[in-house]
Amino acid sequence: MDFTVIALAVLVFLVIFAVLQYNRLIRLNVQVDEAFAQIEVQLKRRADLIPNLVETVKGYASHEREALEKVVQARAASTAASTLPAVAAADGALTNALRGLLAVAEAYPDLKASTNFLQLQEELATTENKVSFARQFYNDNVRTLNTAVKTVPSSFFAGIAKVGEREFYEVDDPAIRNAPNVKF
Amino acid sequence: MPAPSFRALQASNKRKTFFLLFSMGVLVWLIAYVAVSAFGGSGAGVIPIAVLISLITVWGSYFGSDKLVLAMTRAHVIQESDNPKLFNLVHEVCIASGLPMPKVAIVQDNAPNAFATGRDPEHALIAFTTGLLEVMDRDELQGVVAHEMSHVANRDTLVSAIAATTAGIIALISDILMRMLWFGGARSRDHRDNQMPIFLAIIPLILAPIAATLLKAAVSRKRESLADATAVSFTRNPAGLRSALEVLARDNTVVAARSSAVAHMYIESPLDASAASRLFATHPPIQERIATLRAMESSGI
Repeated sequence: MDFTVIALAVLVFLVIFAVLQYNRLIRLNVQVDEAFAQIEVQLKRRADLIPNLVETVKGYASHEREALEKVVQARAASTAASTLPAVAAADGALTNALRGLLAVAEAYPDLKASTNFLQLQEELATTENKVSFARQFYNDNVRTLNTAVKTVPSSFFAGIAKVGEREFYEVDDPAIRNAPNVKF
Repeated sequence: MPAPSFRALQASNKRKTFFLLFSMGVLVWLIAYVAVSAFGGSGAGVIPIAVLISLITVWGSYFGSDKLVLAMTRAHVIQESDNPKLFNLVHEVCIASGLPMPKVAIVQDNAPNAFATGRDPEHALIAFTTGLLEVMDRDELQGVVAHEMSHVANRDTLVSAIAATTAGIIALISDILMRMLWFGGARSRDHRDNQMPIFLAIIPLILAPIAATLLKAAVSRKRESLADATAVSFTRNPAGLRSALEVLARDNTVVAARSSAVAHMYIESPLDASAASRLFATHPPIQERIATLRAMESSGI
């Protein structure tokens, strides 16, 4: 009699433990999905700002064709990308193209003084920060998930929960990851 | 010694908070023991009264913290259209931390300062003085916003409510027992063998409330250090917060609507520094906080 009670108690404990571990893995996996969605939201925001920026710069510096063209192309590539590595690569390319354009803009005092450009500057600064914070939040979530998938005891349940390691969001330019505060 | 990372600092500050709260628990147990052994039945009766009064007063303010604090500090909630740049900064930190968007408030005051309150992240409120918004640049403001959002993330309103409740229980028990002693309440008790002599009970009755106040202040200081470390984990930019603290350290103006009741909530102590000794201070010395952040900068976080 005593033995069955103990066995039953151990069984109940094991079931609760397994359910908790299973749920944790599922939750972490969902959090990674949500964090990736946040990156896409912020990238979309940035893409939406670009036509306005390009028009404004064109008005004062129309012959800076190369820098403008790069931004337009990078924007097109980033809106077309869908898989994680493609999104990350396009994101890095667009960040670099934007930097190039804003460096060019430095040479045009009239452009820099225009109200439209000044408004865009704050918008771009905050969007660029939001993009990099969204990347950072995503990578933090991936780190937590990957640790759970690889370490005991949660690793035992990774197969049952059909949760595996996820890819980090790597941007080409290492400076972007280390310095979230891009100055415009 | 290599500079500790923000992750190590977060873990160490959380451990220390736990230890301090645990010590406060031990102190409650100690004072309750003294009450029962020196005062017998009447001592035991005091404990639930003290617990009840402390719970009601502190937890009432905990649940209404956002509204209560707004009234005490004369802050008013603003909308996104009132200050789009500040909302951008708050939104950035929300994305970095995964926290929901808090209410944002402004205090009309020239002294640069900021605070956070609210019982949970869903009811959070962060407030900034107009003086702070004027003197700080984008990076510095971001550091301050991240520090305040760290208080929200670390549920510091809850932690300080627990500390205040415990300190309150200890103070109330000691106070009631001292009065009983004064009015001779204990003398009428018949002395049993295991009963503690009254004169031995006086020492813990005097010392316990002081110890509780010191522990409460120590908890507050640890939460400030933790919020600094958490802020860096959000922004990965210790330089912004460090520079913001330097601005605060240079500034000599004090918040007009100040009160020791809300002192622990501010990013920098709003009270006159000379009024409180280091042990009773709610904040670690600002130079020490700056040095910790500087160490994180030079080690590349």
